[in-house]
Amino acid sequence: MAKNNWSKFLFLLMLSFVLILAACSGNEGTSTEGNTSTEEGGGKEADEGTKLENGGMYSIEDFNNVKTNNGEAIEGGNITFGLVSDTVFEGTLNWNFYSGDPDAQILNWFDEGLLTWDENYVYTNDGAATYEVSEDGRTFTFKIGDNVNWHDGKPVTAEDWQFAHEVIGHPDYDGPRYNSDFTNIEGMEDYHSGKADTISGIEVIDEKTLSITYIESTPSLLTGSIWSYPLAKHIFGEMAVADISSSPEVREKPIGFGPFKVESIVPGESVTLVKNEDYWRGEPKLDGVTVKVISSSTVVQELKTGGVDLISDFPVDQFPDNAEMSNVEYLGAVDRAYTYIGFKLGTWDAENNRVSPNPDAKMGDVALRQAMWHAVDNKTVGERFYNGLRWNATTLIPPSHPEFHDENNKGREFDPEAAKKLLDDAGYEDTDGDGFRETPEGEPLEINFISMTGGDIAEPLARYYVQAWETIGLKVNLEMLEFNTFYDRVGNGGKDDPKVDVYQAAWGVGIDVDPSGLYGADALYNFARWENEENERLLKEGRSEKAFDLAYRQEIYNEWQQLMVDEVPVFPTLYRATLSPVNNRVLNFAIGDGTGVYLNELAVSEESPIKAE
Amino acid sequence: MWKLIVRRTFLTIPQIIILSVLVFILAQAMPGDALTGLIDPSIDPATIEAMRERLGLNNPWYVQYIDWIKGVAQGDFGQSFRFKMPVSELIGGRIINTLWLSLATLVLTYLIAIPLGITSGRFNDTWLDRAITGYTYVGFAAPLFIFALVMLFIFGFQLSWFPTSGSVAPGTEPGTFAYFMSKLYHLLLPALSMALITTVSTVQYLRSEIIDTKQKDFIVTARAKGASESRVYNRHVLRNSLLPIAAFFGYEITGLIGGTIFIENIFGYPGMGELFLSSISLRDYSVMTALVLLFGLAAIIGALLSDIILSLVDPRIRIK
Amino acid sequence: MRIDKDSGTQIPDVDLGKSPSGFSILLRELIRDKVAFVSLLFLFLIIAGVFGASIIMDQNDIVKVDLFALYEPPSATYWLGTDYGGRDIFGQLIIGTRNSLAIGILVTLLTGIIGILVGLISGYYGGTIDNIFMRFVDFFMVLPILMIVIAFVTAVPGYSIVSFSLIMTAFLWMGIARLIRSKALQEKELDYVKASKTLGTSNFKIMFFQVLPNLSSIIIVTMTLNLAGNIGIESGLSFLGFGFPESTPSLGTLISYARNPQTLELRWWIWLPASILIFVLMLSINNVGQALKRATDARQRRG
Repeated sequence: MAKNNWSKFLFLLMLSFVLILAACSGNEGTSTEGNTSTEEGGGKEADEGTKLENGGMYSIEDFNNVKTNNGEAIEGGNITFGLVSDTVFEGTLNWNFYSGDPDAQILNWFDEGLLTWDENYVYTNDGAATYEVSEDGRTFTFKIGDNVNWHDGKPVTAEDWQFAHEVIGHPDYDGPRYNSDFTNIEGMEDYHSGKADTISGIEVIDEKTLSITYIESTPSLLTGSIWSYPLAKHIFGEMAVADISSSPEVREKPIGFGPFKVESIVPGESVTLVKNEDYWRGEPKLDGVTVKVISSSTVVQELKTGGVDLISDFPVDQFPDNAEMSNVEYLGAVDRAYTYIGFKLGTWDAENNRVSPNPDAKMGDVALRQAMWHAVDNKTVGERFYNGLRWNATTLIPPSHPEFHDENNKGREFDPEAAKKLLDDAGYEDTDGDGFRETPEGEPLEINFISMTGGDIAEPLARYYVQAWETIGLKVNLEMLEFNTFYDRVGNGGKDDPKVDVYQAAWGVGIDVDPSGLYGADALYNFARWENEENERLLKEGRSEKAFDLAYRQEIYNEWQQLMVDEVPVFPTLYRATLSPVNNRVLNFAIGDGTGVYLNELAVSEESPIKAE
Repeated sequence: MWKLIVRRTFLTIPQIIILSVLVFILAQAMPGDALTGLIDPSIDPATIEAMRERLGLNNPWYVQYIDWIKGVAQGDFGQSFRFKMPVSELIGGRIINTLWLSLATLVLTYLIAIPLGITSGRFNDTWLDRAITGYTYVGFAAPLFIFALVMLFIFGFQLSWFPTSGSVAPGTEPGTFAYFMSKLYHLLLPALSMALITTVSTVQYLRSEIIDTKQKDFIVTARAKGASESRVYNRHVLRNSLLPIAAFFGYEITGLIGGTIFIENIFGYPGMGELFLSSISLRDYSVMTALVLLFGLAAIIGALLSDIILSLVDPRIRIK
Repeated sequence: MRIDKDSGTQIPDVDLGKSPSGFSILLRELIRDKVAFVSLLFLFLIIAGVFGASIIMDQNDIVKVDLFALYEPPSATYWLGTDYGGRDIFGQLIIGTRNSLAIGILVTLLTGIIGILVGLISGYYGGTIDNIFMRFVDFFMVLPILMIVIAFVTAVPGYSIVSFSLIMTAFLWMGIARLIRSKALQEKELDYVKASKTLGTSNFKIMFFQVLPNLSSIIIVTMTLNLAGNIGIESGLSFLGFGFPESTPSLGTLISYARNPQTLELRWWIWLPASILIFVLMLSINNVGQALKRATDARQRRG
């Protein structure tokens, strides 16, 4: 039957494949010609050459975080903000209840905190409210500006602010905000457990004045530990606390006092906002903003065609191929995050809610941990995998906190010889000649390393570390796990998997520099399960009243960063940049903190977005 | 026939229940839950634990299952743990896209299969027939996801004839003609990719059916009576060959389900298949379970539909 | 013929009217059918090449990350270029094909064994046993199998290649069981079975030494075609990220790199060769299977 015919067809098909292949290599030919024609050794150089031609290597220092203004602002205008997310947004549009970053991106447009902060994340007095601190540093008195009004025209009052605290502290509250910042308010725990009807530490002095008394005075209060998002009592006051988060006033017609007002919402997909003429900083220049969800695979196309003017988060791995996009300017900032490698040194004691270090842990030898840090070349990793947009990390306080990041602390530099020496001296030697070191007791040493999947680079990156450790004679087994499984085994539920010895993960850090929540002995997120007296002392000092003195606090945290370099319960691997392409027509825009550029000033120089050539 | 439908429906109920229990247990066995994604140093782990307790995530699976099945019985699939909106609302937004995609695929499948099958069967052993049979061989061997990928590569990226993701161009107003056209434009390439592959079995079937039929006595008789060739085909051969094809309609639905998962994933088309994959990685159990049930139900109904059509077409086939 | 609803690949219903005629006929037919013969040779070549090469090649070397060779286009050093980890695509293709083939064969054998056992017992004994088995099979057949396998793969702790093939097996044995059952039902009505029974031969002996050999050619045909299907399902699952663990090269994993639009558009050498290879593999296997099927069907036999 179908005898000769299909073989001919197959031939035709293969032919078409070959043609496609040929067509593709034709495209490629121009850029890599030098590469294919040169010999092995030269090939790499030639490649380097072509990459540099494209501007191959980048550095966060080449990026500005404030948009250069080209042209004159026109009257009004609308812009589109692309919310980059591969899922829909939840639509819990209230600062007091939201839990996902996509929601926060939308909230930023129409609501804001009463306090603003500077580039060091310290509260300033030029926000919607001003504050004064009492002598003992425990009582804060806030004064809300007279012109600060909700979108419905009602004034934002001290009672609204108090109400936000009452809702979050309420036993029926179903959001994620209740934490140590709240338990630090006087009377909060009694209120939370139902022993008191009101929070004794919060007092409404007059319509626009509120005072909050905290149990412990700490500099962290000034950097993000004050809850500054009021909740409109005239709207939510009559509702049962448990019903607020699902009410239409949160999901369909959310309210705030920010520069724009929500006009309509397509659940999960887009939000249309119009300007709030009554905005306390002054009437916004733009007429409106549309926020729409775009997936990370369409970002580039949307930007090129002018489908969006601004986006929330640019996938950095797509940057090298699109660095020359003609219609946008890339803004860049240091991300408040770092990637790190952690060593399991114990387990979690759920009963006492604290870590329970295991002195006999496989990774218990500090020399072993130090050697593993010395063995990895994160400078090259950053350059090769991330084109310089992630770079070698030195300490556990990232440069996104310039006041506290210790620039003079170089961490542990890439030095395999030093690593080998450390291991030799500690007695890790290859006694059975298999190429891998044994423990000082002569037992075979096999280290289990887990890392998270996600993105193309995740797996080769983790494998690179395994190889790097192999070169200093350590046998490391890699297991790639997806997000949920990974955190489950690392001990997010308090049940650590004893088979895990080393793990790679990342932390986004808050605006407050205090790392207690990640490295304190009572922190669940201290996945290394590491406990150290000096560490506890430094963490405590860093939050003490004395630490209101900046120089003292800096000194403490420098000491802490050094302690972590010495002890290496975890070590940072990469710092990262966030990139934000902005359409050329957009004026007065900035990313990052404390820039003094506010959304009401945002404007455009042309009626419609500029398209790429 | 009504008896058949009623009986089959009763058989379906235990199937659905077993399926739901199975999926529920699987969901519980997965590491992590919907709140694992909240991991963030600024959120107190105790607060997350309290939320977990409130959502009932700490209850044993059968307690959660009973709670859930009670809701389902009343048509309430519960809340998405992750998106905090009713599951029905979340799926509702996607189901339309998937329905459109499936419909377009079905239409294209038959649009391709019927002329090809007829040509191939009528002119069997000609060059035309060989070319068509060759195509079915190739289509038969090519895995759908690879074919779709190559289609996307060629027509989406290299030639830029079609959009490479999404279900509608952003900014178009729902309800307008432009919106409709944009939707159509977006689903054309995915639907065509799927149809070109799924159609081959129908082509092959139709071909052999026609070849069989045209040897049969009544055709020979019709021809002997002097009926024109086209009349023979349109009147007699086709009628007899197309009916079984119609019966496969239901089974095609079953086939589409697996296909949409790949197609939606590759073409970034926001439908139920894509939602299923993301609900798995987000551990959004309520959504995941509801989707598996819906797909299971669609498959069962599809099979039922085919059986009914078959029994109508061919009384010899009686389904137990 | 029908479409395997859950993989998007197609599995033909093998319905062979005539009783089998032994291996020699199968082989003769295969050699006679030029296309099938070439396919068979080609298959042997790939299998021998891949398994041979993977013995010589050092798998550790192939998965070794080279920071200075990321995204190299094809060249004399890297015949098919490198991926984002600087790893040689050609080497990964060899290892990947070996892994995909190995799991395809393993799953085909496992499903074959289970399917044959269930089908034989069910068909031979009939009655209640048959009823119970078939209800069970019916239930499995309507499940949205792809979704359930995905859920399973996510739920299984410490999931590995072995558990992956077991999960696949658990949901893929029903088709063959059904087929064998219907054949066994026909077979047991035949005189030789009845004769054996009167002679007092044990049921076990009749089933496995008399009925089973008579079904052998159907089994060979079905398993050949299933092999193509199973490779397709494996690569499909790996493509979606629910197949082989990420660090194990497989054809599906290589193709899944194309889910990154940058890779799809600009770096075809990463995903296209694997796609073509799968396609050619499946085409060849199908082709051999179809030829075998024709050989068992006297109506279509040539000569």
